Amino acid sequence: MISHPGMTPPTIHIDPFQAAQLLGNVLSETPEFKAFLAASNAIHNDVTIQKLSAEMRSHQTALHWGRDPDGQHAVELTRLELEIEDLPAMKEYREREKGVSALFQAVDKIISQEAGLDFAVNAERTGCSCGG
Amino acid sequence: MDITPEIETAARRLGQCLRQDDYIRKYLDALEESRTDTEANALETKMYAEYERLIAHEQEGEILTYEDTREFYELRQQVQDNALISRRNRMHRQIRPYVHQIAEEISFVLGVDYTVLAKPH
Repeated sequence: MISHPGMTPPTIHIDPFQAAQLLGNVLSETPEFKAFLAASNAIHNDVTIQKLSAEMRSHQTALHWGRDPDGQHAVELTRLELEIEDLPAMKEYREREKGVSALFQAVDKIISQEAGLDFAVNAERTGCSCGG
Repeated sequence: MDITPEIETAARRLGQCLRQDDYIRKYLDALEESRTDTEANALETKMYAEYERLIAHEQEGEILTYEDTREFYELRQQVQDNALISRRNRMHRQIRPYVHQIAEEISFVLGVDYTVLAKPH
């Protein structure tokens, strides 16, 4: 490299947004992600899960508005949650979720090591406008 | 977990881009400064040790009085007043929405929230 006295060498800036997009494309092609997506679509198209989810929402609404004097909504909600988790499609989904999560966590470790900061943790939505 | 060379390259590239980014580099510099400064480092270590001590007492069923927590609050105030720590914290608050936007690029391609699946449980 030829050095020019008094001149700052040009800094090559690589756009992190482009790099993120590229990584997203690569991840979308992995078997883990494809299997997760298929399992996710399966639970969204599963009539039983959708029916139970709708029932759960009505109990959640009752709890949200404090309409559960005898605790029946809470009991029913727990029962429905367990029922849903026990369905084969949901079990498959949880398994696939675990697989893709393990892959993404490993990927995130590489990003974080290179970047010098915890990527996913710092990228999480903070939930307030205070910037914290 | 087996990571293909293609994924590893893409992940490393993103990490390197983040480290080279002017905005993030300012935060990393502030982080490094607060880590290497003896006073700032000692102050934070002391504050966290005091915090852990109070939590341990509380977990043993002890009810903490103002006198018990006074030292911790004094230390916390000193930490907040420390110029290097306060700069680091300010820069950290500033970069988070930016880092979020970058991660959203991944989420946009995938159609699912990358951070939910990638953060350690």
